[in-house]
Amino acid sequence: MALTITCPICGKRNGYEFKFGGEEKGPRPDEKDLTPEAWCEYVHMNKCVAGVQEEWWFHKDGCGSWFKIHRDTTTNLEKEVKDENRVQKAKSGGQK
Amino acid sequence: MFLKSKPMWGKKTKLKTSYDMVIIGGGLHSLATAYFLAKEHGITDIAIIEKNYIGFGGAGRNTAIVRANQRTQYNVPLYKEALDLWPVLTKDLDYNLMFNNCGNLNLMHSEAAMKAARMTIATAQFHGVESHLIDAKEAKELVPALNISEDITFPIHGAMFHPPGGVVRHDAVVWGLARGAAKKGVEIHQQTEALDIGTQNGRVASVTTNRGKINTKQVLISAGGYSAALIYDMMGIKLPISVLTIQAMVTQPLKPVLDHVVSSGAYHCYANQTLKGEIATGAHMDPWPNYTTLNTAHYIKHQAEALSEFLPCLRGVRFMRIWGGLADMTPDMAPIMDGNEQVEGFFMDCGWGYFGFKSCSAVGKYMAQFMATDQCPDMLKPFALNRYQEHRLMGETAALVNYSPDN
Repeated sequence: MALTITCPICGKRNGYEFKFGGEEKGPRPDEKDLTPEAWCEYVHMNKCVAGVQEEWWFHKDGCGSWFKIHRDTTTNLEKEVKDENRVQKAKSGGQK
Repeated sequence: MFLKSKPMWGKKTKLKTSYDMVIIGGGLHSLATAYFLAKEHGITDIAIIEKNYIGFGGAGRNTAIVRANQRTQYNVPLYKEALDLWPVLTKDLDYNLMFNNCGNLNLMHSEAAMKAARMTIATAQFHGVESHLIDAKEAKELVPALNISEDITFPIHGAMFHPPGGVVRHDAVVWGLARGAAKKGVEIHQQTEALDIGTQNGRVASVTTNRGKINTKQVLISAGGYSAALIYDMMGIKLPISVLTIQAMVTQPLKPVLDHVVSSGAYHCYANQTLKGEIATGAHMDPWPNYTTLNTAHYIKHQAEALSEFLPCLRGVRFMRIWGGLADMTPDMAPIMDGNEQVEGFFMDCGWGYFGFKSCSAVGKYMAQFMATDQCPDMLKPFALNRYQEHRLMGETAALVNYSPDN
């Protein structure tokens, strides 16, 4: 199946150059008062959305940046969502 | 195909407004569960509701291999029972499931892999499953088509030989179980989509479908690769699952050359010859979650390269068909079977990845017992969802190449 991913630095590339980095789950939970439930939720649990989801990718065979995209899991097509700071975020290691 | 024809398992029935149990998904785990509920527990007021047709998903897309050479003490007994059940079901269902226990040969390509195989074999033997470690020469004697020369990418050091494994005709299992269950009164409703599960006072009360609402006190979701999305959608329960596409293909039919299931972790490839003569082969997953069943030239090429190295007699043979299916992978490569835990009356059977076929017979039996008695059988206890929270992940990954996108 064809998959192309748009890297903020390198542009649109073949999906096999990238590694999937998981669903977007928000910031890592604070270690203070962290419960097993909350940690498990962050580490393991997925929504497995059949539709558009926000997710992380790593350009392993390219510039090495971490970034987020929106993709429709039923068609494997990216969905463009405007984010002016996309390049900036990718350059700083995917931090918000 | 749905309008005029009469299903082979019996007359079409009208969807009632109430059942004792509703099973969402018309695959092998659902059919087997319904069959055993009817046969062993006398519960027949069951509706299986399936959005497409029975056997549409993994049940009809797997490569029909059965084996009990898993890694952990929890998994092996379950798969052993599943393997032992094929001849029993063939008889009970009065349906030829075409069980061919030709044996599995799992190739090892390094000393480290041989050592891992020794551990897996020790587990198997401890649980009474026949499994041996053999060297490359013995592997060659079993499967003369194997290339045991040093001059390939991953030279063969030896193999894990598991004689009781083999192949079962997957469609026959679907049809046999559907007929067996329907004969005892279970209703199978195709083209019926589950939309929502209603709860009342913390227990399951109803299932809403595109053909109306069904009142029920117990519901099981066992919808293969679609389970995780359905369970989150209808119950709000998140699961440690990633749904990946797995691909398989068959070559043109050949004269008999391969009388074992041969698999290789290093080559990411398994192959067996079907009774029609085709070489059925697969193993690959695209490592990003999605719900398409599309194929890639990438893997056709990979498969051709792998096969032509360790089974060089297949060089030049053409692939005839290729297809894809969904595998709902968990981080520990073991399934999730749970019930009455999150919501009273709600059961789930999912996370089977690419091992749902080989386990369906035994799982049907134990899920039926679970639902009929409301007591989780000992066999299923280790597979509860809370193991992830308690950091009791199973060690199935030790024996397998890692396919999960979480790693």
